[in-house]
Order: sequence, then C-alpha cells, then structure tokens
Amino acid sequence: MGKHHQNLLNNLEELRKKAGLTQQQLSESAEVSRKSINAIENGIYVPSTVLALKIAKTLCCKVEDLFRLPNN
Amino acid sequence: MTYFKRFLIIFVCGIVQIFYATYLLSNLFGYTIEWHISNHDLFMFIPGVLVFVGSGILTASYYFGDKKNNNILYDEYTALRYYKIAAIGYAINGIGIFILFSIQDWSNWNFQSANNMIYQIAAFAWLVFGILLTIFSIGDYKEFKNG
Repeated sequence: MGKHHQNLLNNLEELRKKAGLTQQQLSESAEVSRKSINAIENGIYVPSTVLALKIAKTLCCKVEDLFRLPNN
Repeated sequence: MTYFKRFLIIFVCGIVQIFYATYLLSNLFGYTIEWHISNHDLFMFIPGVLVFVGSGILTASYYFGDKKNNNILYDEYTALRYYKIAAIGYAINGIGIFILFSIQDWSNWNFQSANNMIYQIAAFAWLVFGILLTIFSIGDYKEFKNG
C-alpha cells in the first residue's frame, strides 16, 4: 500500500507496477493527465467512479483491488 | 491548447489584475504615479477584456479542441483544483465586499463616495482573483512539469 487519502486507501502504485505500466501509460489509457494518476497514488486525490473504473479496466482488476475504505 | 498556453493565458490575466489592483489601491491610499487612469479611460477595461478573451479561448479549446488532448488538459483533478480556487476567491470576495460596505461613511454619502467604493470593490476583487489565478497557473504548470 502506498500513501493514502484519509478517506480512501489505495493500492494503485503496486498494481500499476505489477502491470508493467508507467504513470504516463496508465494516464493515456485512462484518458486523464499523468498528474491525476500521481495525485491518486499519493493519496492527494480521490478519483470519480468513472475514472476508478477506467483505471481498473486498464489494469485488468476490480475497483475493490485498487481502493478500499480505511475501516475495511 | 497546451499546458504552457493555458499557463500563459491564466498567468497574464492574473498578473494584469494584480497590477491594476495595486494601482487602484495605491491611489485610494493617496499614492499616485505619473501614469494615470480613470474610470472613463479605456485602460480600465483591460483586466476585464483579458479575462473575457482568455475564458473564450479556453472554452473554445474545451469544446472544439482535440478530444484526446482535452481529456488530459481538462481532467477531473484539474477541475477540482479550479473549483477550490474559485470557491476560496468567492468566499474572500464576499467577506471583503461586506467589510467594504461596512466601512463606508453612509451619513455623508455622495457621488464621489460611490465612485470610490466602486474602485475599492474593483481593486479588492482584482487583487483576490489576480493572486488566485497566478497561484493556480504556476501550480498547474509546475505539476505538469514535475508530476
């Protein structure tokens, strides 16, 4: 687990690296800026449902694998 | 549209607003410089015209620009930063205008007082949004460069 937003824990950096993608490649596939991916990984930003689903689709995993609530 | 062009447009709008705000505030506090503008002068419209033209260019690029490029330029993270900046600006302006109304001498109200109050409101709003636009433009471009 990387750095977290207070309301959302994320596993994005680990899964992205496991998929062999750079932040740039993931951002192009998810149709957002690289800084958005960076902000999500560093727990600065909580993505919208659409963006979370796009990222999950790109990384061939479930949204639940990427994000989870702190109390889970 | 590119990050750099957007930075330039927003930065210039912000800096010009700060310049005009500083000019008006210095006048209101009794400091004058050789270069003089008044509310009858076309120069007074420059900050507004710049914002109008800048907004027009950005809006046109959003609706008619390259879609792939726009997904990156106008993504939700950037939008969130912009909303936060705008919310801070409106909040500070609301408080500022309330204070400006409160400090007026309503018992001796005349045309000159009204004119001064318009200057004060314009100067305050330009200063607040000028600073916020400049901060946004620099932060946005730095994030693009450094991640």
